[in-house]
Amino acid sequence: MPEFLLEVGGEEMPAGWLSGLTEQLRQRFTEMADRERLVPEQVRAFSTPRRLVLAATIVDRQPAREEQVFGPSLRAARDAAGKWTAAAEGFARKNNVAPEDLGQAPKDPSRPQELNLVFLRKTPGRDAAEILPSVIASVLRSLAFPKRMSWDAWIDDGKGAFPFGRPIRWIVALLDGRVVPFAIHALVGGEKGPVLVQSGTQTVGHRFLPRGDAGRPLGISSFADLKQTLARHFVLVDPADREVRIREGLKSAAAAPGATDHELVTEWRDLVEFPTVLAGRVPDEFETLPVEVLDTVLVHHQKYIPLRAQGGRGARFAAVINGDGANPGEIVRGMERVVVARLRDAAFFFAEDRKRPLADRVSDLEGVVFHQGLGTYKDKAERMVRLVDAIATLALLGPEEHQAAREAALLAKADLTTLMVREFPELQGIMGGIYLGAEGSQRAEVARAVRWHYHPLSIEEASPPKGSLAGAQAVAFGAVSLADKVDTLAGYFALGLTPKGSSDPFGLRRAALGVIRVLLDFWGPAGKRLNLTDLISVAVEGYSGALKNPPATAAETLEPFFLDRLEYVLVSRGLEQDEVTAAVHTPAVQALSDVHDVLLRVQALHRARSEAREDFEHLAVAFKRAKNILEQHPASAIDPKLFESDAERELHAAVGRLSARDGSYEDRLRALAGLRGPVDRFFDDVLVMAEDKKLRANRLGLLHQTVSLFYRIADISKLGGSI
Amino acid sequence: MTLQEIIATLQAYWSERGCLIQQPWDAEVGAGTMHPETFLRVLGPRARRVAYVQPSRRPADGRYGENPNRLYKHLQLQVILKPAPADVQDLYLRSLVAIGIDPAAHDVRFEEDNWESPTLGAWGIGWQVLLDGLEITQFTYFQQAGGIDLAPISAEITYGLERIAMYLQDVDDVYKLRWSADRLYGEVRQEEEYELSRYSFELADTELHRRLYDSYLAEGWRVLKAPGGRSALPAYDWCLKSSHAFNVLDARGAISVSQRAGMILGIRKLACAIAAAYAEPAGTEADRA
Repeated sequence: MPEFLLEVGGEEMPAGWLSGLTEQLRQRFTEMADRERLVPEQVRAFSTPRRLVLAATIVDRQPAREEQVFGPSLRAARDAAGKWTAAAEGFARKNNVAPEDLGQAPKDPSRPQELNLVFLRKTPGRDAAEILPSVIASVLRSLAFPKRMSWDAWIDDGKGAFPFGRPIRWIVALLDGRVVPFAIHALVGGEKGPVLVQSGTQTVGHRFLPRGDAGRPLGISSFADLKQTLARHFVLVDPADREVRIREGLKSAAAAPGATDHELVTEWRDLVEFPTVLAGRVPDEFETLPVEVLDTVLVHHQKYIPLRAQGGRGARFAAVINGDGANPGEIVRGMERVVVARLRDAAFFFAEDRKRPLADRVSDLEGVVFHQGLGTYKDKAERMVRLVDAIATLALLGPEEHQAAREAALLAKADLTTLMVREFPELQGIMGGIYLGAEGSQRAEVARAVRWHYHPLSIEEASPPKGSLAGAQAVAFGAVSLADKVDTLAGYFALGLTPKGSSDPFGLRRAALGVIRVLLDFWGPAGKRLNLTDLISVAVEGYSGALKNPPATAAETLEPFFLDRLEYVLVSRGLEQDEVTAAVHTPAVQALSDVHDVLLRVQALHRARSEAREDFEHLAVAFKRAKNILEQHPASAIDPKLFESDAERELHAAVGRLSARDGSYEDRLRALAGLRGPVDRFFDDVLVMAEDKKLRANRLGLLHQTVSLFYRIADISKLGGSI
Repeated sequence: MTLQEIIATLQAYWSERGCLIQQPWDAEVGAGTMHPETFLRVLGPRARRVAYVQPSRRPADGRYGENPNRLYKHLQLQVILKPAPADVQDLYLRSLVAIGIDPAAHDVRFEEDNWESPTLGAWGIGWQVLLDGLEITQFTYFQQAGGIDLAPISAEITYGLERIAMYLQDVDDVYKLRWSADRLYGEVRQEEEYELSRYSFELADTELHRRLYDSYLAEGWRVLKAPGGRSALPAYDWCLKSSHAFNVLDARGAISVSQRAGMILGIRKLACAIAAAYAEPAGTEADRA
């Protein structure tokens, strides 16, 4: 089968786009070639910053197609005299045949005796070469870029103006080595202009290599040829090849283990066409700079990977360049100079900032607006302190724990006024912690709480600061983190700035997730509990001075918002949605009154249910049925004397035993499986809706007691189930 | 190569490629983009190539002449190619060769960096050009100016002249740059940096600048709306002046976050109205060109 090769080349696309675009290219081509019956197989797509490449095998020619076109029924096709009717003749004429040449076949396969005239239309397949230009156009048109640009281009697909990710400068389109014609025109005054790019057989190699022979057009005939030719001209078309080269480079740069897996490796791979790893030195004068500052400059600002000697501070970094590195000395010197200039700034900030104790800066926060209508960061710090006081009461913190959290809350935002954080905003919190630690005047837990209070930022259970905080540190961190996030949420919700759809400009979903995670993963295990609903109302009250009319609805809209986040966290941890719903939305408990308890209940339910899946399904259905009945009819207290059947007495006794049972959530839920028999017999033998009102109310009472038996743990009727 | 040789070489290079060599705009601007040769001439259909050096003032970046890398006023060499030719990147790279940078011996990269000016209602798609990790040029395909979609698209190449010169001369202190064969950058400009920094951080009268900001904007609108039209250029001068007054206030820390957004919007509204007036009446743009 012939090979189709497409290379769309041009100006540098952002590294972050490439993997997504490559996958889109592969999928869109497969879909469109399928639709055109070109039978695409072995569809592969590759990319570099300057090109998107697609290779596939397709058929030379679409398979011919035969289809039956039905005409009038035989009864309507001939008149009484047996002559062709006008309808039959018209149908034949439309298909350019004589009526005699038409066939006969049943239009409705289920009525084989009712025949219609039928014409067998044969459509010969078209050549792939004829179809491919429009496939190329629709594939390129369909690529979704994070941001498109106008580059005065036009294509002939009926839509005209052709914005793209970056300007296209060449196109290779070959079917078995023969050019598939495709043109991009200039857009002039809104109209089609002269040809801008015409498909051909020639690709372009690396911008600057090989030396003295770069930029020359390179003729190619197939994908294999393209790949080899480009490799000779310092372009590795396959991202996997570039990644291998990077990892090897990092290894030989004597990187400590870990550097080869640095998060930058993927980005490096898509930043260049021919990666070479070089290593540079950081001068010793920056030894005293905190590692976090060094890494911010290297990783975030220069995209360099820090290389550390095992166990200690290293003074080197690795960088990727787009070339063969034949002339490393001068390049590395240039890179080092940029790093040094940046680090000199940082060292200056570090020295200047420490001339004042962090506590002095709290009053400077008056000049930093938190959000219009929500006051300054000074106001926020004061609200956070009040929230920490509320937390101390709600969670029964000890006096020392309370004091540490209080100090940390007041100081948490002070680093926003430091030169370092103004230059490197990603160091907020971190610098506060470092400066406090260097002052030595505060207890370690205060500095640690300030350091980490923007966290947790991720839903992952093991994400920071997991493992970085112990005992009293986790308590102080949790209190400040909760106070900050709940205050932020209350403020934005009070202003009505709630997240909508995919738009969450103030990161409120992440803030709520952080609150849930503090309670689940840091405070729960440490035995600290608090009622989130109560904390929310304190937080909303905190804005009563700042906002003229703090909407009472802020608290009401925040509760379901938190419940959604809670369910999301639990489901993401592998618990099933119906189990989560059953434990979160059970009538006897408010989930937000103890978030960690919800986790314990869902986990218990998950384990008990997985041991007796069938029993739980069965009970879920029975409980649903019972709840439906109870919704419409009032139940009364149970009078055992009114029981008429053994089934009633048996269920009553079973329910009694279960409700008296002690033990863990899991033990109690396990015992629930034993209720299946009595419940089944009750529904089989007993008519709940008895004529006698007393009997009926008594039976409803028994049902009510049964379904609410475990409401303290979960609402079993919310589990999925079928009989 | 001295700083003035770099400028002369680049101007000669672009002059040979059809650029009109313009002069800096004679009002305070924050970037070469604000020169009417860029902001206004990228509007409308007429082809044009222009290059000029523009001293750009950023009061908040002033460091009293003490920081080796930051300046109150720095030099940009700005090239506008309208429409952007298909070989625009190569043209740019050859200009680097002209000043002695061999891309094959270095690591020269185009890394995504889109440009946006909220005060001008302008944005574009493009890159920062990195030379061995150092940003030496901003390269932008203008998409919108003054809130108006552009067609044709212009390419804007902005060279950071001090940085390029520091690289070529291998110095790590801007004041040690050789401006000419016998003068250092510091001799030419260090006192100016000190005095301008001192003014913007200590001496500038914030109340006066608030009034100036308002008056400049008011005058801009008055001129723009004067009967008879053909007043976009003087109106634009007032718009630039209000922008500079804003920058002085910003450097003094005299603008709160909420005021800030409102003041930027005030400049943008005038800039957009000027752009519309300049581009709207069909034919007049050609008359002016």
